[in-house]
Amino acid sequence: MALSDLLRRLVLLAAVIWTAMTLNFILPRITGRNPIIEKLMDSADSGGANEYDFDQFVAAMNARFGFDRPILHQYLDYLGDLVTFDLGYSIANFPTRVGDLIASALPWTIGLMLTSTLIAFVLGSILGALTVWFRSSRLLGFFVPVIMVLAAMPFYLVGLVLIYVFSSLLGWFPASGGFVETRTVTSGWDFYLDVAYHAVLPGLSIVLASTGVWALSMRGMMVTVQGEDYMTFADAKGLNLRRVFLAYGVRNAILPQVTMLALFMGQVVTGAVLVEVVFAYPGIGFLLLRSIQINDFTTIYGVVFILILTIGFSMLIMDLIYPLLDPRTRKSRA
Amino acid sequence: MAGGLVVSDLAVHFPTERGVVRAVDGISFDVERGTRLGFVGESGSGKTTTALAIMRMIKAPGRIVAGSIRLDDADLVQMSDAEVRAIRLRRIAYIPQGAMNSLNPVLPIGRQIADGVIDHLGPQRDADLKALVAESLDRVGLAPTVAAMFPHELSGGMKQRVCIAIGIVLKPDVIVADEPTSALDVITQRRVMDTLGRVQEAIGASLILIGHDMGLMAQFVDELVVMKDGRIVERGAIRGVFQAPEHAYTKMLISSVPDITEGRSFLGTIPTPAEPKPATGAAPSPLVAFRNVSKVYGRDFFGRGGVHALRPLSFELDAGRSAIVSVVGQSGSGKTTLANILLGITRPTTGDVRFEGKSVAGLRGTAALAFRRGVQAIFQDPYGAFNPFYKVDHTLALPLRRFGIATSRRDIYVCMEHACDAVGLDPHLILGRYTHELSGGQRQRLQVARALMLNPKLIVADEPVSMVDASLRATILKSLYDLKARHGISIAYITHDLATAYHVSDYVIVLHHGHVAEAGTPRDVIGNPQHPYTQLLIDSIPWPDPDRHWGSRQSVEDDQRRLEEIAASHQTIVRSRIPGFDLDTAA
Amino acid sequence: MSTATDDRREVTSFDADDHQRPSEPEWGTLRSRWRATLRYMRRNPSLPVGLALLSALILFSVIGGLLVDIGDTRVMSAPHSRAPADNLWFGSDRQGRDLFAVMVHGTWLTVRVGLIAGAVGIVFGASLGFIAGYFGGWIDNIVNWTVDVLLTVPAMLFLVVIATNVSTPTEPLSSTTMAIIIAALAWRRPTRQIRAQVLVMRTAGYVQTARISGASNLEIIFLEMIPNLLPYLVASFVTAVSAAVLASVGLEAMGLGPQNEPTLGQTIYWMIQSSAFMMGLWWWILPPIIALVILFVSLYLINVGIDELSNPRLRRKA
Repeated sequence: MALSDLLRRLVLLAAVIWTAMTLNFILPRITGRNPIIEKLMDSADSGGANEYDFDQFVAAMNARFGFDRPILHQYLDYLGDLVTFDLGYSIANFPTRVGDLIASALPWTIGLMLTSTLIAFVLGSILGALTVWFRSSRLLGFFVPVIMVLAAMPFYLVGLVLIYVFSSLLGWFPASGGFVETRTVTSGWDFYLDVAYHAVLPGLSIVLASTGVWALSMRGMMVTVQGEDYMTFADAKGLNLRRVFLAYGVRNAILPQVTMLALFMGQVVTGAVLVEVVFAYPGIGFLLLRSIQINDFTTIYGVVFILILTIGFSMLIMDLIYPLLDPRTRKSRA
Repeated sequence: MAGGLVVSDLAVHFPTERGVVRAVDGISFDVERGTRLGFVGESGSGKTTTALAIMRMIKAPGRIVAGSIRLDDADLVQMSDAEVRAIRLRRIAYIPQGAMNSLNPVLPIGRQIADGVIDHLGPQRDADLKALVAESLDRVGLAPTVAAMFPHELSGGMKQRVCIAIGIVLKPDVIVADEPTSALDVITQRRVMDTLGRVQEAIGASLILIGHDMGLMAQFVDELVVMKDGRIVERGAIRGVFQAPEHAYTKMLISSVPDITEGRSFLGTIPTPAEPKPATGAAPSPLVAFRNVSKVYGRDFFGRGGVHALRPLSFELDAGRSAIVSVVGQSGSGKTTLANILLGITRPTTGDVRFEGKSVAGLRGTAALAFRRGVQAIFQDPYGAFNPFYKVDHTLALPLRRFGIATSRRDIYVCMEHACDAVGLDPHLILGRYTHELSGGQRQRLQVARALMLNPKLIVADEPVSMVDASLRATILKSLYDLKARHGISIAYITHDLATAYHVSDYVIVLHHGHVAEAGTPRDVIGNPQHPYTQLLIDSIPWPDPDRHWGSRQSVEDDQRRLEEIAASHQTIVRSRIPGFDLDTAA
Repeated sequence: MSTATDDRREVTSFDADDHQRPSEPEWGTLRSRWRATLRYMRRNPSLPVGLALLSALILFSVIGGLLVDIGDTRVMSAPHSRAPADNLWFGSDRQGRDLFAVMVHGTWLTVRVGLIAGAVGIVFGASLGFIAGYFGGWIDNIVNWTVDVLLTVPAMLFLVVIATNVSTPTEPLSSTTMAIIIAALAWRRPTRQIRAQVLVMRTAGYVQTARISGASNLEIIFLEMIPNLLPYLVASFVTAVSAAVLASVGLEAMGLGPQNEPTLGQTIYWMIQSSAFMMGLWWWILPPIIALVILFVSLYLINVGIDELSNPRLRRKA
């Protein structure tokens, strides 16, 4: 990748992160309300927090936001904190730090999202390519409407249908949670099996819905690629059909798919967040839902910030990987 | 006759909603080992379909409905798909048309040569493959290091030679070359055709060349087949066909290629020029003046770097006389940039364009409208020039309203009718139709009509005939010439084709890398070129005359080096001047 | 004679001989070829099927609206957790809402959110896309960068932050406010898509012809470009509606929706929070899911249909 291109990506990433940070800072000030203060007043009224905790918390909050200082000062300190990943304390669960809450939830989300997205990407791309390959069985053609319906549906709707069928009706899989919480053992085979068992439905809903998306875009790309001159020439060379399909067709059609994967990172993340909500899966999405329900604003902002960061960096990684796949974006030797 | 190809009664049909199209309608021919057979014809003549049929690559729903294609004793038509695939490349190789996109962009060249070998001969030792790839590249004059490169690192000519290298790696008996140079400029074309010819001779294969360029055929093939509407209308040895064409269609094809010879114009009888418009006032300002106009694309934020599409250029075109000034150059020469600056579509990076003494950049209101009306255009793609959403009337009526030439519906219609008549189109067949309902020639003439209707002072014609069939070329150029001769309109004729420029223009400017290489009257510049670039261009034109030699082998080898030297020299040779057009080379 | 040759050109367009293959999509031909379009639709049913599904959904809401009172969507308007019966067609939920009334109003409310946000998005996005793509320069740079940055962040995350700042427990969001919040971000994708189209179209032959015919920029945009972009604008609008519905349901599932209005997403939120699955209340679970599936699939099919109309390459293959 050309250096200027890399620079552009980095600046873009920085701009994205800055936007995310600033949004959290500015919105409460624009709307003229500060939900954090409101929450504090609320807690104080109801006496939910004990006296000692509360004083310490107010002190911590004042130190964090420095409400009495000039706005620019507040802003710079706020940016400084975020850059060092200091997300502050949870309002609802003081003195738990937001960072710790997120740290315990993030592995669940990443595990679920990464696995199911990778499976869906590979499966969808192959399926999509096969639906337009002339040697494919005609049976595959009947898949196309199914793929289209799945592609049109958001992840969580598929999740709801799966819960209804496999949990509510058939009782094969649990409808919620990431593991059986009553179990004391938190490691070893049994635990992992249990985790995998709980992950089947949420994972499947992401896989099903996004397989449709990848299959459809791959289908479109293969149609385009099949019209390319190099496919005609490959045919004229009398190459093995398997080689024509894989090394000439799929190999070229997959490139825009990878670009799309980077662009759709955001959709994948929000989709996964909502799947967690539907399944009460102990990841970052469910943390967000719980925080919203108890008005834990610092945690909400922290989660949003971390998610945006994740999306930004995964896009950057995809952009860095891309030149390995496409020689045209590597530095030319000529 | 080992290794020869015999085609008999071949018919290829394409069922469509409007009935069966007989793309190839019962043709027979044969080609002997070691000889070259040319197929020539216009769009839709069935020549490419014939090539694809020989490869058994007709795409459904089209199919071969009758006939046989025999290679030795085997009939390709009767073979299974797997059998045909085994024949391809090993016995019949195909050199594709779109060299630019015929190579897999993500595989290195070496792999693309080797994969065919592996798939036909089975797995090979790495060293053997490498040697085979190197040998194949060497045959087409490319270094072994090219094997490690990717297509995007190669020039167009190199890509086409790689395609040839792929085609000949298994030393086939027959090579089918489908317009192998249609996307290349003439200089590269000569080089590629020279390579193809030599390789074919070296491996002793027979060659079928599909093309539309009679000149290329005259220079390259032994025997020629002329196709029209799916049938063969004439066939014979190349000399015979050119010296004594029998079919009227062949005669037309030959005569539609402009030749650069004194006294014979392919435009036919040329009307005597109209009286020059009387000059008004004592010293009228020139119609169009360029003062150090240049264009640089892709400059960075600080105005550094970038590609110089057009180097500083100054000229004056007089208002009093009408002239056709040709701007000749290959792609990337800056000729289209020049055209767009003339039209006011592109803004120059430096310099000043003046129209009737006033700077175009500062024109507002009625002055801007006067400039718009005064400088009209005929674009290369006649299909794209008309908005597909509307009937063609919309495109014709718009300028009439905007320039206040006609306002009532009645007047507008009369204007449009007159314009159609003037270019020989029947208004009743043209007006009220959509673009896609017209033929290419009709669309292009309609563009001329549109420009003419506005009574402009200058018409910029950007490659007006490069997208129309040879048979229509002369007609359209003639109507362009009429604009000058009958209506006194000056024309900037932008083209890559020196031969047509020779016939229509009063003055020729040869552009190379945005720089004027040579300028003067066509008789000087094209008839007797002095600049090495112009000489190279003229040498590279395939003349429609089998007896006229197409450059020596030595010169072909040196082309690339010479081109680089020429580009670096920035030399301008002005051969002659004509009244009415003044090229300023002081800058 | 000329017509004969051009007929030939049309039908032989499969032939690689034809160098003059038109590069423009042939939308313009539609106007004059209604019958061909109908024949085409039979071959390629995405558009009619999508339109039929969407109409059915809206009809259900409109006709249902005549039969029920909006008051029945309130809590305790019916006995709770009842299965469908003669007087309670869709049954009731655990809080005692009449689910038929909920579906009738909820469907329309959700579609309305999509329409409002989609319309704002397409109008604003198309204007911005045209300004950026047509005039270029620094405006284009700014627009392009802003869209790039904003598109990286999923709308949902922005919306969560905005919604938490706007709604309070005492004063929950209305569905209209939610639509406006969503609209604040709905312009991003249309802007990018339309800018890209305008960039290509700006150099089209007919645009240049119009320019040298003395047409003004506005005339070029509105008379020459927009008619050819119409299918594209419609497709873009449909996508924007779909994205807005997606975002609204997402917000509602996160508990940030209009607590007092029975939109489809809000119904799903209550259903999850009240353990409808564990209790097996299928009449509560299925209708909102089915309605949303129909909504998303129909919008998607309409989009595919328009896309296939305007993209001949896909058309040939399909």
